Formats: sequence, C-alpha cells, structure tokens
Amino acid sequence: MKRNSLTLAILMSCTGLASNAHADDTKLQAEVDALRAEVVELRGLVHELQSQRAPAQAASPVSGAALPNAPLPSAFAAANAVPAPAVSQPAATTAAGDAIPGTGGSGLALGANTSLWGYGQLDYNRPTKRISDTQADLTRAVIGFNHVFDENTRVYGELEWEHAVASSTDRGESEVEQLYVEHALAQNYGMRVGLTLVPLGLLNEHHEPGNFYGVERNFVEQAIIPSTWREGGVSMYGNTDWGFNWNVGIGTGPNLGAWDPAADEGRLSPLGSIHQELQLAKARDPSLYAAANWQGVPGLLLGGGVFTGKIGQGDAVLPVNRSRLILSEAHLRWQPGPFDFSALYTRGTISNTQDLNLQFLGQPTPVPKSFWGGYVQGAWRALEWGSDSSLSPFLRYEMFNTAAAYATQPQGLGTAPLPTQRVWTLGANYYLNPNVVFKVDYQKFRYEDLVLGYGNRFDLGLGYQF
Amino acid sequence: MPALIAARGRRWVAVLLAFVVVGSASSAWAASTLTPELVQLGRKIFADESLSASGKMSCATCHDPKFGHAQNNELAVQSGGASLDVPGFRSVPSLRYLNFNTPFFFASDGTPTGGFNRDGRANTLVEQAERPFLAAHEMANGDATSLVDKLSRASYADAFRSMFGADVFARVDTAFLAARYALSVYESTASEFRPFSSKYDLFLKGKLKLSAQELRGYVLFNNPNKGRCAACHLSTRQANGDPPVFTDYTYDNLGVPRNAAIPANADPLYFDMGLCGPERTDLANRRDLCGQFKVPTLRNVATRKVIFHNGYFKSLREALEFYVQRDTSPQKWYPLDAAGAVLKFNDVPPLLARNVNTSEGPYNRHPGEAPALSDIEIDDVMAFLATLTDGYDPVTNTADPARDVPAQ
Repeated sequence: MKRNSLTLAILMSCTGLASNAHADDTKLQAEVDALRAEVVELRGLVHELQSQRAPAQAASPVSGAALPNAPLPSAFAAANAVPAPAVSQPAATTAAGDAIPGTGGSGLALGANTSLWGYGQLDYNRPTKRISDTQADLTRAVIGFNHVFDENTRVYGELEWEHAVASSTDRGESEVEQLYVEHALAQNYGMRVGLTLVPLGLLNEHHEPGNFYGVERNFVEQAIIPSTWREGGVSMYGNTDWGFNWNVGIGTGPNLGAWDPAADEGRLSPLGSIHQELQLAKARDPSLYAAANWQGVPGLLLGGGVFTGKIGQGDAVLPVNRSRLILSEAHLRWQPGPFDFSALYTRGTISNTQDLNLQFLGQPTPVPKSFWGGYVQGAWRALEWGSDSSLSPFLRYEMFNTAAAYATQPQGLGTAPLPTQRVWTLGANYYLNPNVVFKVDYQKFRYEDLVLGYGNRFDLGLGYQF
Repeated sequence: MPALIAARGRRWVAVLLAFVVVGSASSAWAASTLTPELVQLGRKIFADESLSASGKMSCATCHDPKFGHAQNNELAVQSGGASLDVPGFRSVPSLRYLNFNTPFFFASDGTPTGGFNRDGRANTLVEQAERPFLAAHEMANGDATSLVDKLSRASYADAFRSMFGADVFARVDTAFLAARYALSVYESTASEFRPFSSKYDLFLKGKLKLSAQELRGYVLFNNPNKGRCAACHLSTRQANGDPPVFTDYTYDNLGVPRNAAIPANADPLYFDMGLCGPERTDLANRRDLCGQFKVPTLRNVATRKVIFHNGYFKSLREALEFYVQRDTSPQKWYPLDAAGAVLKFNDVPPLLARNVNTSEGPYNRHPGEAPALSDIEIDDVMAFLATLTDGYDPVTNTADPARDVPAQ
C-alpha cells in the first residue's frame, strides 16, 4: 500500500494535479479513477517484465541473492502455482525476497499446497602431483519440499545425502539441512522457527551448484564460514521498499567442548569441526546473529553480518565456558551486464582459549584465537546460445587462514600459527540450461598440505537444480 | 461422554501407575545388585588368600592396591600353584580404570579393540576372573568345586549366602559366578580402582599448574612428530567428558626384546604372540595379529616395577629409551648373532617379524638417525608421566597410589 500511495503521489505531481487542488471535485475524481486504472495496468506490466526476466536471473549464478524484492501479492500463492514446463514462469520468492528453489519453473507440484524441489552435485578431482588420489564423487543429492498451510504460513525442508552411500560402515552422510516453519507477519516481514541456514556470506544460503562458480564451493566459505552452516532457533526477516533485506536470529551455536585437538578437522574448518547441525545439540548458551543486504541498485548487492555466542555450552569439565565466538563478514556482488564480480571478507575470533589449549599442548590442532579469509572473483558471461545456454569463464583468488593466531602459552610450548593459504581458481561454468551446469576448473595452491587436501588439482563437475 | 472420558482417564492412570511400579521395581533391583555390601564382598574376595591352593595368594597378591593394582616386585612373571613355584607367562597388568574398557571387537577399520587380559580374550571382568582362580600358575584351584569349597568356609560365607541364597554353595556354578560377579562389581565401581586423583587430573580441572618441565614433557608426549605417545595413550578427555585413561584399548606390536627371565622362554620355539596365541586361541589363524598386545593405561606408570607384557624393562626410563632408540640403535636392545648382526625383534618368530610396527613414529626411523626424543626430552616426558600417578598430595607435591586405598 505504501508503495502504491507513493506512486500515486508521484504521478499526481507529474501531471500537475496537485496545483489544481481547487478544481472541480467530480473532474478530479474522474482523473483519479483514470490514474488508478493506469497504475493497475502498469503493475501488470511490471509483473510481466519480471516474469520474462526470471529465466535470465536463473541462468546467472546466485539468482536468489540478486533477485529484487518482488512485491508479489502472496509469495506462497506463487509458490503454489502448478509449475508449467515453460521456463518463463516467475520464480517465487519468500517475503524476504529469496527465491524458493524449485519454484522457478520446473519444480514438482504435489497437489495445490506442496511442491518438491531438488539439486545435486557430482565432482571429479584430479590432483596434478598425486594422480593416484584422483577421486570421483556424488558429492550431494538433495530433495527439498515446500508446503504451504495458508497464505502466510509454510513449512520448508531440505534433505540431503552426501557421498552416495550413507550407512554405519560407509562414509556418506544423510542429513536434514533445513527444516523450519515460516510465518509472514506482514507482507514485508515475518519469522521462522526451526533449523535454518545462517545468513552469512554469499554462498551459505545459496549453495546450489548453479549458484556458484567452480566445481567446489570456494574455500573461504567452507573453512571460515562453515557452509552449509545451519542452526536451530527463531529468526525474523524482512525487507524494505528501498531494497534492504534483514535477518536476525537467536538459537543454537557451535560446541567448543567437542573440539578434538588430535584430529585435523579443526585446522580444515574451525567452526565446521564444532558446529552441531541440531543433532542433539548442546544448547545452554544461545547464539545471536544479524545480517543485512542492500540491493537498492539493480545488479548490486552489498551485505554483511555477524554471528556471536558463548560456545562453551555449559561444559562441566573443560575450561570453555568463558569462550565467545564472534564471526563477522562483509560481501559485495556486482553484476553489470554480462559481468559478475564478487568479493567477501570474513574473520572469526574465539576468546579465552588459553586454559583449554594448555590441556592440548603438543597436539596438532589447538583451538585458534583468530581465523579469517577473503576472496575476489570475476566472471564473464562470454557466450550465450539462445535464451538458455551460456558459458561463463571465471577467475577467483582466495586467501584464508584457519589458525591465524593462538592464545599465548608458556614460552617455547606454544604452537606456531598456520601459514596463510592462497588459492587461484580458473575455470568456467557452462549452463546447458538455467538449471543444468557443467563445470571445469584448475586450482593452484600456495602451499601443499596432503592432510588437509590442499594441492593443485583439476576439477570437473556437474550440477543441477529444479 | 464424560463417563467415556473418565474411563479413558482411569486407563491412563492405570498405565502410568504400571510404569511407575515397573520403574521402581527395576531400580530397586538395580540398587540391590550394586549395594555397598556387594562391593564389600568383592573387596573381601579380592584380598582373600585362603581362596588359593597355596593359601597364600589372593588377587591382591599380584594386583597390589598400593601399587596401583599392579605387581609390587620386579619379577618378570609371578609364580603360583600350591607351592608358589609354578611360574606364569606374562607380567601383571594394572586393574585400575578397567571399568572404561569394552568387550573385544574389531573396529570398522579392522583394528582389534577392547577385551580384558593382555590379549583381550575375556569380554567381561566376570569372564576374566575365571582364569586366575583356576590356573595352575596362579591360585590353582583346578576347578570351581575346589574354589567354592574354600568360599563356603570363608569369614564372609554368611554374607555370601544372604546375598545369593542359603544353598548357594551347593550350586557350584552359581557360587563361582556369584564370586566373580562380586569381584567385577568391586573392580568396576569402587573408587580405588578409578580415583582420578593424579596431579594431571587436578591440572585438567584447572586446580593447579604443571611445572615447566612437566609441560614440556606433555608437549613431547602429545606431539605427533616427537613422542607421539598420545596416538595410543589418549591424553585428552573422553567424548563423554570423563578424564582420559591414557589408552585407546587397541593393540600394537612393539617388538619388545625377548625376556630370558621368563622360564617358558627357555624353549626357543616358544613365543608369546598375544592376540594370535598361544594363550588366546580364537585368532590363531590371524597371523597378521601375531605379536600384538593391548595398549595399557599409563596412569600410575611411574610406579610400575616392570613394563610391557613380558616385563622386560624394569625402569620407565629404559622403556622410553627403547621406544625412541629401538630403530636408531637396535644393537642396544637386541642380541647379536654369531656373525655380529643384530637379532632385531627376537621375541617373535622370524617369519612374523614383519608384523612389528615400524611404520609409525617414534619407531619409523633407521640406524644412525636421531631418535625422536633426546635424553633431555626423555627426562621431560618422565616428569610428565609422573603426574599420572594417583594419590597426589599438592602440599608435598608427591603421589602414591596407596593413598587411594581405603583402610580395611
């Protein structure tokens, strides 16, 4: 309504009606009615344009993040529309403006209120120096669902299998990545309760393979922001007319008591080794997060967020209760024409680790005091075939350090910080259509670490989403 | 309708009551089987010399509570039997902290794990207690009847009857089982078997600081490129928050030198090969496991009179030196043959010498290379290992496992 009134006021001033305030009331009323009709017509045109724009958005990575805050009359009504095979169907969005995967044209509707969606990723990694370590993997297969209870309330879930086979004797995993109930309190804000993705970075909330360049997710948003990072709790989201999206939440956080100083995982991803994924999560100490994105200029996305909480979780035996995690990040994405640039920086700290690390002296993986990472990336939609297929070469440079500093230990007994890893990735995404992507890249590492899987390699990948 | 609701309500109340009754009955049963009286009975059996053929040997004779429930002398093996002159085959393992052990199993990667005895052939403490009562080189009762006869004449026989039935001694198998059960409850619940009273435990609780030397030793103990001891002797808290027990309950083949002090070793064809026999028989065809013995806890290791399954080493320092110098200076540990070549790994059959662990640090080195730990570093590790001794007194900065043993 606000926007309609504003539009009306602008149109009124443009046509000079404001200066004719004393004109004949009947005439004025007629003109207002005519303008109203025009507004309705314009609104329809806008909607139509958005519908046409949707496939192009889908073809470009991170379509969800780049979508404007479409003021759809009801996000959920759109989500419920029976998907037509034509790719021109508009992608439905949540009230927060995020695209609902599977509603972009080819999701599977199960009745009037329920739809299924999914994505998958298959990878082939060939280390150039250790060819015997070459590996092919069905990295993940995902089935998601979206069920609408009423115009304002839905339940949304994402079920995932990693590495093809999951059993007690296999290395695959079966997991629930998202499961929450969302309730729109108004057209532009609402709340979610359940297991939700932490809204930090560019990738965590948009981790479908069509949404990122390169066969593998970038290192920074795996090692520092532990994608796919989700926590259980309550969050509120919303957006404003001027392109500002926000999301704040309170819920579970990592569990520092689960740190394993003898394992390598903590050096691969400090938070990835202690996040709980809502699996019988220790939940004494609630964590908080806040994130915001601004998309007020077409093609530009600016955002950032912070996650913080005490992560000792009331551990009765380890000296971790005073430890606090603060992870913050800022990101930028700019998509002028066929180009696509992005940059991200993130840094985390864990306080009061000295006493805990004293118990871990000599072990290979103490708890870091600080860790950070950042990357810049440029891509170019160089070739397009028809309205569906495109080829986008890209180049990415990453720097990250999962243990940039450790708390001080008695002289001579401390552990040296890890060296900062630097990775160049050169490759291309070929979109056969907006929902099927073939990928190829070469990654060059500054230093090799066989234990952590750092070594120059050639990668091939396939991804799909529907 | 209200009547129906009332009927449903009554049914729920009945179901709830049933749960309460069953629940309290089962907890009452659990409580009765773990009463202090049962622990006390186990304690008396443990210390009762009259239960042996000699009348002079109890469990505590070899598993001396004052020595961390391990042996109190420097003999490689203890002797038992009616005249205490039948030698055993292995040194005495400590019985402390065994409540954390598990039945024997192969982990998903094939690693043998758990089990009681040095070869893990007993799956429970109840099962484990059978052999010492009967074996000719230990308490030498020969059979259960002989043991139960002694039990029936013990000072605590009435207590035994009141717990297990007035006619329990007439039912030999039941009485033998009951005695072992009382022992296992005692060993797995009495605080003296798991006191966690060492200096290291106080350090883990944040109650004190380790000295600079102890901390240096701790680093060397944990460091994968130095002692690498923590790879098997886990030094950080268990997953459930319990303090570490300094073993992962797995097995390893260290190639410990043959000990001529064991009479059985006089036979050059006799080899004690742990998991694959001869005492354990079910894994005899797993030749790859020959020579593997269970990783022991290192708690109280500084108080051990002998070290390793064959008791070859009589000082902790020697044992540590062996770990790091076995491969850099093999001539220091093994005899030479007629031609002057080192007979390395002389306590396993030559064809099975390949089973000895030579791939992991600190034993992955070669003659002439520097050992993983220098002499000074060994001093530091010894200082750390001394912090694992139970019964620590912060006032005197001394530790003695005997302090955990309650007065009888």
